[in-house]
Amino acid sequence: MRDKSWPELVGIQVKSVLQLKNVHKAFSGVPALAGVDAALPENSYISLLGPSGSGKTTLLRVIAGFEQPDGGEILFAGQRIDGVPPHERGIGFVFQNFALFPHLSVAENIAFGLENRAVDPVTDTRVVAAKVRDIIGLVGLSGLEGRAVTQISGGQKQRVALARTLVTEPSMVLLDEPLGALDANLRTRMRGELRTIRERCGVTFLHVTGSETEALAMGDTVLVLDRGRIAQSADAGTLYGRPASADVARFLNCYNIFSGAISDDAFESPVGRLALGGAQQKSGEPAYAIRYDRVAIRPLHASAAGDEVRIEASFVASEYSGAAINSFFTLDDGRVFEVETHLSHAAPETFEEKARYALVWKREDALVFV
Amino acid sequence: MTMVATSDDTPVETAAPSTRRQPDRTALLLAPGVLWMLLFLVAPILMMVYVSFWTQTTFKIEPTLTLKSWVTFFSSDTYLGALWTTIRIWLIVLASTLLVGYPAALFVGLFVKNKTLSTALLVLCVIPFWTSFLIRVLAWRPMLGKEGAINMILMKIGVITQPIEVLLFSELSVIIGMTQIYCVFMVGPIAFMLGRIDPSVIEAAQDLGASFWRIFRTIILPLSMPGVVVGAIFVSVMVLGEFATSAALSGRKVNLLGNIIVTQVGSLKWAFAAVAGVVLTVLMGAVVAALLRVVDLKKEL
Ligand SMILES: Nc1ncnc2c1ncn2[C@@H]1O[C@H](COP(=O)(O)OP(=O)(O)OP(=O)(O)O)[C@@H](O)[C@H]1O
Ligand SMILES: [Mg+2]
Repeated sequence: MRDKSWPELVGIQVKSVLQLKNVHKAFSGVPALAGVDAALPENSYISLLGPSGSGKTTLLRVIAGFEQPDGGEILFAGQRIDGVPPHERGIGFVFQNFALFPHLSVAENIAFGLENRAVDPVTDTRVVAAKVRDIIGLVGLSGLEGRAVTQISGGQKQRVALARTLVTEPSMVLLDEPLGALDANLRTRMRGELRTIRERCGVTFLHVTGSETEALAMGDTVLVLDRGRIAQSADAGTLYGRPASADVARFLNCYNIFSGAISDDAFESPVGRLALGGAQQKSGEPAYAIRYDRVAIRPLHASAAGDEVRIEASFVASEYSGAAINSFFTLDDGRVFEVETHLSHAAPETFEEKARYALVWKREDALVFV
Repeated sequence: MTMVATSDDTPVETAAPSTRRQPDRTALLLAPGVLWMLLFLVAPILMMVYVSFWTQTTFKIEPTLTLKSWVTFFSSDTYLGALWTTIRIWLIVLASTLLVGYPAALFVGLFVKNKTLSTALLVLCVIPFWTSFLIRVLAWRPMLGKEGAINMILMKIGVITQPIEVLLFSELSVIIGMTQIYCVFMVGPIAFMLGRIDPSVIEAAQDLGASFWRIFRTIILPLSMPGVVVGAIFVSVMVLGEFATSAALSGRKVNLLGNIIVTQVGSLKWAFAAVAGVVLTVLMGAVVAALLRVVDLKKEL
């Protein structure tokens, strides 16, 4: 019922709902956003991944209108909105700490925007009550309408914060680490729920997160923010398989990365020459990356096949993570090298601590940045 | 076997003494405070109630119970007038401290984002207390007097041709003086409550489309109410018991219940003083109780 009525009510038929062009923002001379360019598609779930301090919150606050950008353009549904006050932008914001109104009940919190907005407030209490009832059903808060928001759980607060924004029918919702305050179990459950809720409303969600698994699991499109710039914008599969730079690969937390230089047919790394053969990717800094799960661990005496790269390392420890086991090795230059072995592929082997092993991967599995 | 025995025993052993010792310790901690209050607050008040029923003659007072002082108090225009003046001045000062104090608190507690600066500003509010009461009150005289600064300035710029006489030695001067002295007791608690409002709550309201005045009425004001009530209690209790400001700034024209008590005690009319004292205490109690009704402080603080 919702999925039909929402786009109609919102009344927007633009393909790219939000466009950022060279957006700059500095705090007392220190740049937080250094030229952000992005186009967010309509009706999709977008995650924004970036390490702490990369400017994620700043970007959301600039889009929402709580901060003025120093330069650049923000186009929302084709209109420039830099300079437009937050409440006239039609963009909903879900705060990291929820920011619920502590003196109001769940239902009053949700009704706040409808009743109090300056533009076109809903004065008919029956209309408000009906909308609040619908949205409470949508986010799964039925039965808690009269509860004080100080007396509900973290997950329920999260839903109130979301419902409070959604009920005003924004054309886009910004979520700043919405799952950050929840425990791991609830976080996984809320991921699915957030996606379902978004699909029913049909609006674009821009979800900020510092967790690569969350970003990859949730986003139809994943934007990677690095030092105030968009380092890559791609779907989860592309991002995971073909990160655009060594830095992006580093955030994804699933690549061993060597720095060095290319010479002829090999990559000169601190641990020796690594034969080339795989994909090469243009990027500022040369680097060689191999995914944790593409590496095989062999006894030291085993030699490599013709299309393989082989290095030696000593075993440190391994750690189970559900369906996979992660083994840690130290290379000759002291760096840690990680290998992920899926238990469906092989029974867990036991390795001897401090013993040396051969680590082998196929040439074409490596990603080389030039 | 031993494992079972110990794991069964330990919780009982640890739980029992702690629950048994709890009331003892509570009583011990409360005893000094309770004793102090009984000795120096409850007992004197009961004594005052008792004395108000004693028989007062011109030169001495006898512990023969009578209602005479009470009848005199409630049939005398002077005393009832003083009661009414007290209530009127209290209400006006309460309103004016709120009117002056709330915007100041709003500025200090909400608009000044820097915590150090807002603390510094609060300290600034306390500066009047760095001088003695007497000096402060005396300083108002050359300000408000017939040839005082305000009249001079107003005459110079031609707003008035005659000096405004009601500025000093009138109810107005008492109200101005009291507002100035007690305003900080209103600003403090309100600024404290405003400072506790999470800035993102206000941003959330903004994002949901509310204008500043809407946000003020629906979010800021309700969240600062406990501060208003605490401030109002401070100001009320102090203003209701006032006598010094009115004595110094009204030229004895304004008589508050406090002034009545001072004069009666001065002329050794203990029974009358006690009646006025009881009336004042009941009034304060009623005011505080009514203010506490407004907001459930236990829940809000
Ligand atoms: N109000 C501010 N005043 C000064 N500097 C700020 C302010 N807000 C952010 N910054 C700076 O801007 C940079 C980006 O901050 P931002 O809060 O956007 O990071 P973030 O990506 O959200 O980090 P996190 O994941 O830790 O929340 C940081 O270096 C931060 O110190
Ligand atoms: Mg942040």
